[in-house]
Amino acid sequence: MADLKDIANEFIRKEIEEFIERPEERGEIIAVMARSRPSMQDIGAAIISGDHETVDRLTVAALADGMEALEVMDDGLINGMGIVGIKFRENYIFVPEVLACARAMKAGMKHIEPILSASGIQPIGRVIMGTVKGDLHDIGKNLCIMMLRGSGFEVFDLGVDTSAEKFMNAVEEYNANLIGMSALLTTTMPNMGRTIEAFIDADMRDDVHFMVGGAPVTPEFADDMGADGYGETAVECVEVAKRLVAEAKR
Amino acid sequence: MQRIDPAEFQERLERISAIFANMVNHADQQSLIRCPYKNRFNQCTAKFGCRYKRRANDPMGLPICTSDDQLDYRSAWESDEPLSHDSPPT
Repeated sequence: MADLKDIANEFIRKEIEEFIERPEERGEIIAVMARSRPSMQDIGAAIISGDHETVDRLTVAALADGMEALEVMDDGLINGMGIVGIKFRENYIFVPEVLACARAMKAGMKHIEPILSASGIQPIGRVIMGTVKGDLHDIGKNLCIMMLRGSGFEVFDLGVDTSAEKFMNAVEEYNANLIGMSALLTTTMPNMGRTIEAFIDADMRDDVHFMVGGAPVTPEFADDMGADGYGETAVECVEVAKRLVAEAKR
Repeated sequence: MQRIDPAEFQERLERISAIFANMVNHADQQSLIRCPYKNRFNQCTAKFGCRYKRRANDPMGLPICTSDDQLDYRSAWESDEPLSHDSPPT
């Protein structure tokens, strides 16, 4: 049976000691970490720290050393994210820290993508995401992006305060046919509809599907503005995105 | 270049999705009692103004959140002010 001292990485040992309280989880994590190579533990530690630069560098080094991509995912990225999930569940960390860890994971996955591509594995779809013009609230959008990427979508994040022109330019630049728009304010929510109207005016509406979400947005409002899909939560966002991608392929 | 078996990769995606789904469900619950822009150091990471923001002692540091999470924090959010007032709300 593996013991904490069998884990080479001191940071990971301390994290387990301090934050993993449930005995069955603790035992399981110690076991998987102990049988991971030290270099994979280092990637896991960088994920937990939300250190995207270190994850980037260590992933490049691991793959250059001939490490299997799936081993990097299993023993580095996913193991690290598993501990992040437990720390979040137990309220040791909060949404901003989780998003930093997700960004670190993306930094590692970026180097695995060419291997996926060479293996004939394509993203489920390409999605452009942005908070609409006049709105600076981005947590909901960022959680949706985390979920979409984790589900196999390629996501292009336009950030906050995104004009219709930016969405249109992104469609052409990234060759994406799915757009996700979010708004948190009732005052900016109509800008979702205005963005869709701008696509109609530019004769680009048939090229894309729109999904919308945000605290004040309702399914009825989404219908009224002419959106193709509405998601109440980040989990629903993935389901809507999968449905719209399937529709686009028909 | 090495190859990845699609079924093996799909199995990893499902594990990642499960971890993330648990996270977003927890985030939804937590957002009822704590502002999601507040980090573990009670600093505000929002790009917009909020009445609960106070400037940090460190001029380079993130603003401090003074909310006690007892009120609906969303009513304190402002739509366009980039930074905050220096005093806590009354």
